[in-house]
Amino acid sequence: MHKEAAIREPLILGDKSYHDITVDVVGPIENKAPKAWYLLITISSIIAVWGLGCVVYLISTGIGTWGLNKTVGWAWDITNFVWWVGIGHAGTLISAVLLLFRQKWRMAINRSAEAMTIFAVMMAALFPGIHMGRIWLAYWVLPLPNQFGSLWVNFNSPLLWDVFAISTYFSVSLVFWYIGLIPDFATIRDRMTNPTAKKIYGILSFGWSGKAKNWTRFEEVSLVLAGLATPLVFSVHSIVSMDFATSVIPGWHTTIFPPYFVSGAVFSGFAMVLTLLLIMRKVMKLENYITIKHVEYMNIVIIVTGSIVGVAYLTELFISWYSGVEYESYAFINRFSGPYAWSYWCMMTCNVISPQLFWFKKIRTNLTATFILSIVVNIGMWFERFVIIVTSLHRDYVPSSWSMFYPTWVDIGVFVGTIGIFFTLFLLFARFFPVLALNELKTILKSSGEKYKNEDH
Amino acid sequence: MANNKKYWVGLEELHQTEAFKEASENEFTESSLSVDEFLGETELSKTTTNRRDFLKFLGFSVTAATVAACETPVINSIPYVNKPEEITPGVPTYYASTYYDGMDFASVVVKTREGRPIFIKGNRKHGINQGTVNARINASVLGLYDGTRLNGPKVKGASAKWADVDADIKKRLQAAADGGKKIALMTGSVISPSTNQAITEFKAKYGEENVVHVSYDPVSFKGIRKANELSFGKAMIPDYDFSKAKVIVSVGADFMNNWLLHTQYVAQYSKNRNPQADWMSKHYQFEGGLSLTGSNADVRVPILPSQEGKALVALHNEVAKLAGGSSISGSTEGVPMDMVAKAAADLFQNRGKSLVIAGSNDANVQVVVNAINVLLGSYGSTISTQVETYVMQGEDADVANLVKDMNAGSVGALIIGSDINPAYSLPNVAEFKAGLKKVGLTVSFSSHADETASLCEVICPDNHYLESWNDFYPKTGHYALAQPTINKLYDTRQMQESVLRWTGNDMAYHDYIRQVWQGYTASMGNQEAFLFDDFWFNALRNGSVNITVPASDWTPALDAAAVSSAGRAITSAKASSGIEVSLYTKVGIGTGAQSPNPWLQELPDPISKVTWDNYIAMNPADVEANGFNMHLGQEWPASLAKLTVNGQELTLPVVPQPGQKRGSVSVALGYGRGAGQENIGKAAFRTEQYGGYAKDADGNKIPIGKNVYSLVGMNNGQFAYHITGASIEGTGETFPIASTQIQHTLMGRDSVVKETTFDFFKSAPKEAYNAPHELAVHEGGETIKKNVDDIDLWAAHPVKGVGHRWGMSIDLSTCIGCSACVTACHSENNVPVVGKDEVRRGRDMHWMRIDRYYSSDMDLEKGAEEGKGVIESYREMEVPTYDNPTTVFMPMMCQHCNHAPCETVCPVAATTHSNEGLNQMTYNRCIGTRYCANNCPFKVRRFNWFNYKAYDKFADVNPAQDAMARMVLNPDVTVRSRGVMEKCSMCVQRIQAGKLDAKMKGQPVEDGSVETACAEACPTNAITFGDLNDTDSAVYAGENDKRAYHALAEVGVKPNISYKVKVRNA
Repeated sequence: MHKEAAIREPLILGDKSYHDITVDVVGPIENKAPKAWYLLITISSIIAVWGLGCVVYLISTGIGTWGLNKTVGWAWDITNFVWWVGIGHAGTLISAVLLLFRQKWRMAINRSAEAMTIFAVMMAALFPGIHMGRIWLAYWVLPLPNQFGSLWVNFNSPLLWDVFAISTYFSVSLVFWYIGLIPDFATIRDRMTNPTAKKIYGILSFGWSGKAKNWTRFEEVSLVLAGLATPLVFSVHSIVSMDFATSVIPGWHTTIFPPYFVSGAVFSGFAMVLTLLLIMRKVMKLENYITIKHVEYMNIVIIVTGSIVGVAYLTELFISWYSGVEYESYAFINRFSGPYAWSYWCMMTCNVISPQLFWFKKIRTNLTATFILSIVVNIGMWFERFVIIVTSLHRDYVPSSWSMFYPTWVDIGVFVGTIGIFFTLFLLFARFFPVLALNELKTILKSSGEKYKNEDH
Repeated sequence: MANNKKYWVGLEELHQTEAFKEASENEFTESSLSVDEFLGETELSKTTTNRRDFLKFLGFSVTAATVAACETPVINSIPYVNKPEEITPGVPTYYASTYYDGMDFASVVVKTREGRPIFIKGNRKHGINQGTVNARINASVLGLYDGTRLNGPKVKGASAKWADVDADIKKRLQAAADGGKKIALMTGSVISPSTNQAITEFKAKYGEENVVHVSYDPVSFKGIRKANELSFGKAMIPDYDFSKAKVIVSVGADFMNNWLLHTQYVAQYSKNRNPQADWMSKHYQFEGGLSLTGSNADVRVPILPSQEGKALVALHNEVAKLAGGSSISGSTEGVPMDMVAKAAADLFQNRGKSLVIAGSNDANVQVVVNAINVLLGSYGSTISTQVETYVMQGEDADVANLVKDMNAGSVGALIIGSDINPAYSLPNVAEFKAGLKKVGLTVSFSSHADETASLCEVICPDNHYLESWNDFYPKTGHYALAQPTINKLYDTRQMQESVLRWTGNDMAYHDYIRQVWQGYTASMGNQEAFLFDDFWFNALRNGSVNITVPASDWTPALDAAAVSSAGRAITSAKASSGIEVSLYTKVGIGTGAQSPNPWLQELPDPISKVTWDNYIAMNPADVEANGFNMHLGQEWPASLAKLTVNGQELTLPVVPQPGQKRGSVSVALGYGRGAGQENIGKAAFRTEQYGGYAKDADGNKIPIGKNVYSLVGMNNGQFAYHITGASIEGTGETFPIASTQIQHTLMGRDSVVKETTFDFFKSAPKEAYNAPHELAVHEGGETIKKNVDDIDLWAAHPVKGVGHRWGMSIDLSTCIGCSACVTACHSENNVPVVGKDEVRRGRDMHWMRIDRYYSSDMDLEKGAEEGKGVIESYREMEVPTYDNPTTVFMPMMCQHCNHAPCETVCPVAATTHSNEGLNQMTYNRCIGTRYCANNCPFKVRRFNWFNYKAYDKFADVNPAQDAMARMVLNPDVTVRSRGVMEKCSMCVQRIQAGKLDAKMKGQPVEDGSVETACAEACPTNAITFGDLNDTDSAVYAGENDKRAYHALAEVGVKPNISYKVKVRNA
């Protein structure tokens, strides 16, 4: 059996048995949902429906219902896209990269984080779709055999790379998440008394029998998928960043973008995981599994990635001056002193200054502070994308075309709507899916459980 | 034989076993009824519904269901029964014709497709305008398809028959004449010999003493005629020749936009704006508001409009000092003497080759101008002493008298021409309307029930000019013809024909013109073997003809007394108090005749770049002092202010206008039409954000802009367009303004626009004024500086030297920013009109735009010297010079880059490079990601944000949504659907047509045989289009000129369009 150093803090607190873990995780699925859940899902689905209504209006009327103009061709649409993709990063990073690095603390958070990834990527994927002028022809971005002569996609276009990157990422994440769910679904199936639910969970669990052979295969597939997913963590956001980096627009045309975007993505992803889990551990009484230590670990990741992002911001500024390129330097001067300076400074405060507070142990182990800062970070990361996209476009080369971007109610509606859809999906997940990888957790109970560690002494 | 062969499926069949028989019988029978039995069923045939009926019912019901399920668009297309000889579907036909509306005169060529006129261009081969057209002329074709034109005559608003109307009018005219009452004929300036002849006949019919013909110009130039009478005893306007003028001093004359025969002057002026020629003209402009002409001046001096006279007196005295003539006494205080002295020195140095003109309608001012020109010896050189100009014959005093007579009840009949709209454009509209009620018979020829016509008893709608025959005599010795290019669309009748009918002459106007011309040519005695038909058809084919007229030379014998009395009048004028208001006409809307034309409303004003409104143009310093909004943009509306002039109050938005003289404001005429809810055109009224007309509290449609004709003053019997003593007061409210440009300075970006001065250009090497952008590259182990144009990151498209490579060369020196190219592109390429709200949101669809930049007081170097930080310097660079900025115009359209950033980023390859160097847009393939537009350094791509051709929001602005106006669409160009990107195609349809033409002729494409719409429309030939692979072509020469540069060369996109450095003769 795996042995863990005694000085490591336990990952499962309290006196928990295997059965306790099962009950703690499956309990919410078996029991009636609390009133708060109904309240939350009502609110979030109303917002979701509103958002979908905005999308329908957008598609039926035209992109002109957004606030874009001849100069600013992308604004909230792509901002939201990048923001959601970034959020999606944490899940894969936690489940794949931390799995490869054998970080056991991931087990308490990977399930929710992956679910968040799936939902976030779904939200992200919405935007490149609806931002198209003719969404009904969206399938043209796929290299499909067709009857339009020898028409083929343009492999030079970063948008096409995006299509591949996002779709690959989504499918791998989905499979990875689902594979992890199989043993847990089997556990639920075995406990279910309601025949319909039993049947459904039976189908979902793919006939898992819990044999040693099943477990070996499970471990192997997880490892293989982790291996596959790990490069995707880096590739997806690198490719998203190339939408900008390969262009000729000052403020976009930057070689620093791929690493900067990836760390930004991890940064915002962890922040969103924290936002969600801090609520969930409280509501679902999972304090023993998602411990302060977990929160602290995540906060440390936030300090690291936040600092990388900060360095990237400063590097950009330095290079814009050092390059001596008139347009490049103006783009950055405009960013921090032009009409959108408020968004730049909002981004700087939220992304660079606020995570530095986590250097203080008191703050990074304080749940309220963490919760607030996690939201601040996500606001900051939204503004980062807004700053990159809008402030670069609105004043580029030819001054006659300089303009401003103002969002319309449809811009706002669609964005808020995706938040509604996201939370609706997440609430459904929390209600019907095992929110912790319970079978995986059981594997570390004896090595990292508080009770067992103490007994060893 | 072959039929005898028999095949069995098996032995069972051969032997016909029992089992087989049974099986075969049951093989296809599942029901109890066998096929034979079914067919033999007699019950079925007894039903009333037989099979055929059943099929019919089935067919009908399916069709009915289908028809009910979807609304089938009805497209009326009527094929030719017999193909007309001159029309081949798909091949355009061109007709030479003439445009004249009282403001603009131009010989034009009308392009028709399948019998529909769709494009107007200048006639480069014939005519005094040498191919010059402006935006108003270009856009006039849309007026033909105006669905609000009247269909047939109207009597008191009800439809009538022409015969009845004629009989009634004839009777009542006769009655009026018999009753000793006046019959007044009120028209614009008539320059048509045949029309004049018809009027003469009309006068003869109803008695010379009874009929008065009153000429009325909404914007009058009577002052010039009167001044010539005072100065030389001859009330006329001479012909000006700008091509001979080395120095031009214009005091408030906007001769590129509205001054007299401006189409001729623009063509002449631009000839001398080439810095590579031996000399380049020097142009001084003294003016209050920044006009199109002023923005092109080498030296512009802002003065108060009331100082125009004094400035001219000062100029006169300075010139007189040099010439040794007598000066005019009186104070010229307040005039910038240093600039006047400079102008005088330049004028005098080039005496005989210089020209002084003024825009004022004050005869005294024009008398001083005449005196200066006499001193300079301009007469006989830049001012003709033989050729007269006949446009602008308006007699302001006659108009005033007519209104008085109407009110006195002495006018028995008033007949109002189709080219004027006095109930809209007279300053004393109320009096006119009151008088109109006292006139026995009021007839209007207006094509619409407009402000005037709707008040008239009878409307006899005139044809559109593209449906009419006409002749013109704009200046001595020059005849022009207009011919119909389409059959009448409505039951209208040409004004002249109506007049002839009422004299009892039933001749068709075409025959009448011929008859008049025959008489003229006969009287000229120039008839050796003169075949009139040859002459006529030649004139018709060319659109105009020049005839040598016996010289009637006159010597400019200046009346010195007139000069001194004019000088006295000017210098003794009281200094004005309050704010001065100057009323001007805009490049797009002009006098307002075409104000319901959406192309012109959407055309950005060349100077302010504002669309769909008129406004108070005020110096930014004054704007700031008044606390009005300084920065206008999508969400930054203009402040509304109440302008009080002589007791009249008008509320208008205030637009900061650099270059406007402090203490004065300018307001454009021609707006606010349809205030009485007249049906003058769909696009004449304000629309709401989601479509439909905006309504005021009373439920009335709101006109676009405000009518300021009521502010026009009267001065010594002439209309005065400069008014003093106004006051302006903010109302505290705001009003959105739709401008296509919100950043007005160049931000020191000299790789966008390069400019230099003439002296420097002459003396300095190319590197000094047109330095190539160089980058350090490693080659052969060494670091060398290399021109960016010679650096390629990747393989270039193989278009250099192979086949065609279409390109353009645009000369910033000769571009005057007139925007004729913008409307030409609009009409050629079916560019949608999007309306004010969308323009305000930065979504104008123009494929071709004119970027206008003002100079700024600040640049980075100056900022550094003054110890200012970069941020502060940049911030100050955003602010244009308030008082007198220099202006530069840059036509901007797709640059057709050889390394096009748009092409690489499109995920579906909807925008690609052609093997002729064009950057092509495939609308069908576009899915609308807008990545291409984002990645375009020139921001020339336009996205179809909505379905402009069907979405309600655009129903009242976009011609493509109107069944009639849709006919103006160019059938060679697709109307784009929602969600696709579009942009300049370099008129690829014309290139294809040109190539096809050359192929059929079996010869290479000749340089100049293909022209883009913009190049064709450019009055100054600033745009040259052609094949860059043709080393003999003009565009090749342009591309390799020492002034040529590529905009944003350092981005390395390698455009096929090059610009030429702007050179100012400052």
